[in-house]
Amino acid sequence: MGLLGPAITAIAHPLRLSLCEIEYLSDKQMLTINLKLFLTDVNEAIVFDPYSNELAFCQPQESAQANPMLLDYLNRFFYVKVNGQLVDLQIKHKKLSGEGDNTALWVYFEHQQRPPLASLEIKNAVFTDLFFDQNNIVYVHARGESKSLMLNKKTAVHQLAF
Amino acid sequence: MFSLLFVLLLFGCTAKQTAPEAEEETEEELTQRALAIHKRVLTLDTHADTPLRMIEPGFDMAERHDPRETGSKVDYPRMIEGGLDAIFFAAFVAQDIRDDDGNTRAKALCLQMIDSIVTSTEKNSDIVGLAVNPDDAYTLEKAGKRAIYIGIENGYPIGQDISNVAEYFDKGVRYITLVHSANNDLADSATDPDGPEHGGISTFGEEVVKEMNRLGIMVDVSHGNDSVFYDAIALSKAPIIASHSNARAVTNHERNMTDEMLKLMAENGGVVQLTMLADYLREAPPNPQRDSAVAELRATMTAISEMTDEERAALRQSFQELNEKYPNPPAMVEHVADHIDHIAKIAGIDHVGIGCDFDGGGGIEGVFDASEVMNITVELVKRGYTEEEIEKIWGGNLIRVFKEVQAVAEQIQSGASS
Repeated sequence: MGLLGPAITAIAHPLRLSLCEIEYLSDKQMLTINLKLFLTDVNEAIVFDPYSNELAFCQPQESAQANPMLLDYLNRFFYVKVNGQLVDLQIKHKKLSGEGDNTALWVYFEHQQRPPLASLEIKNAVFTDLFFDQNNIVYVHARGESKSLMLNKKTAVHQLAF
Repeated sequence: MFSLLFVLLLFGCTAKQTAPEAEEETEEELTQRALAIHKRVLTLDTHADTPLRMIEPGFDMAERHDPRETGSKVDYPRMIEGGLDAIFFAAFVAQDIRDDDGNTRAKALCLQMIDSIVTSTEKNSDIVGLAVNPDDAYTLEKAGKRAIYIGIENGYPIGQDISNVAEYFDKGVRYITLVHSANNDLADSATDPDGPEHGGISTFGEEVVKEMNRLGIMVDVSHGNDSVFYDAIALSKAPIIASHSNARAVTNHERNMTDEMLKLMAENGGVVQLTMLADYLREAPPNPQRDSAVAELRATMTAISEMTDEERAALRQSFQELNEKYPNPPAMVEHVADHIDHIAKIAGIDHVGIGCDFDGGGGIEGVFDASEVMNITVELVKRGYTEEEIEKIWGGNLIRVFKEVQAVAEQIQSGASS
């Protein structure tokens, strides 16, 4: 596999991938959602420029529009439903890792969720509006089990029952 | 986008019409000769991330998928179409937290991927078979079936428990890529943004290499930094592989191998498997027309936050139209052959093979998916490679290494038991 990062152009057929990790912590009655998105993809999706610093994610001068615009985008292409109820995505915190084209934006969400966890429905079609071959790996850790899924434009939604 | 084969056939017809009396082989005749060679030799691709597709709900390996619609690069019908006889499907788990919880999860995810490969071969046993030994590829080929081998990309799911190596071997795993895009407990990555951590292979990684030698698992150094390569060469009792890496002298990328490494690989008896990742095959050429058209479009944009959804959708469409109007020059099969030429020159013909990295970013003009791999053979024939040489490149070299790795394992095990 190539690096988990985007190439510069939209035409070169690079690997297009994002990671999402969802975990249910029963002792804390909490669902956590971590998205690892490549910053160039985020900028391309939101401000139409992969190398824009207009929103300045995780920098001292981060734009007041950064979180609202990120959430606006994510709410169109990503959701999690627990026991049939849509999780209201509120960003807990964000961080950057890596460098250059491989810089990743991590977005963390937390959601209080009383047991039992009976089902999860996940939609992850992020960046499928940009790239026809975008794939989004989803790791789910719940009730002592781990499972991986691949979601994309064709198969954007999947339900897991516990 | 037309396949190279189509283009070659087109030119072949033209050449035949314009020079009917020429005694020299026409393009069409050359193509047909290449296709016949392609059919005769064992064609083995050492690296595909297709298990990532297998975990896509509803994805069926027995169905033919359109790569330009879905991005999928390998399924069984396209392996048959491309004359691809054997493949290593890599179970990949992305690097995450290196603690007990993280390692346990990584193992669970890895086992799920391996199970998905095994299940797929069982479900399609009329056309494919699970392969665990070198000769299985030939046996299955004779039976008219594709051979499916299993590898692990990223040693992360081994965690810090050496017994996991034997567990993966028992599941059918026959190579392990020590590390991926970030350092793990085994080795340093070529691309970790924080730089090296172990100075190559870690102390635990050394144990893992020994255990892989004992069991007969090929040591894969792709994705490792240069020190990992040198450590693996020094540590491994058996030849090593780079399941998907190219030549750095041809394309200067940290994932590619220097001439010094290629020479050492030859001394080691190992093999470098060429990959179809565009950025590893050629320097991305500039595209000034597109850049200026994009800049012009951006100059007309109003504030994004003030745009309606409809305006944003229209703008997205405009950018996509520009991308289509001014496409970047793609990596071509000629670039692949340039790397093969170089490795054959520096390391020798016995030390080069093919590991396309389909479904992991691999796929170029002319070799976009598994159905087009015959175009590599066409280009090699065009450059004067003989059938014997092509047989080595397409699988013979890797099978030789695989056999040597098993022979070393037998020696170690017999020595240990005597």
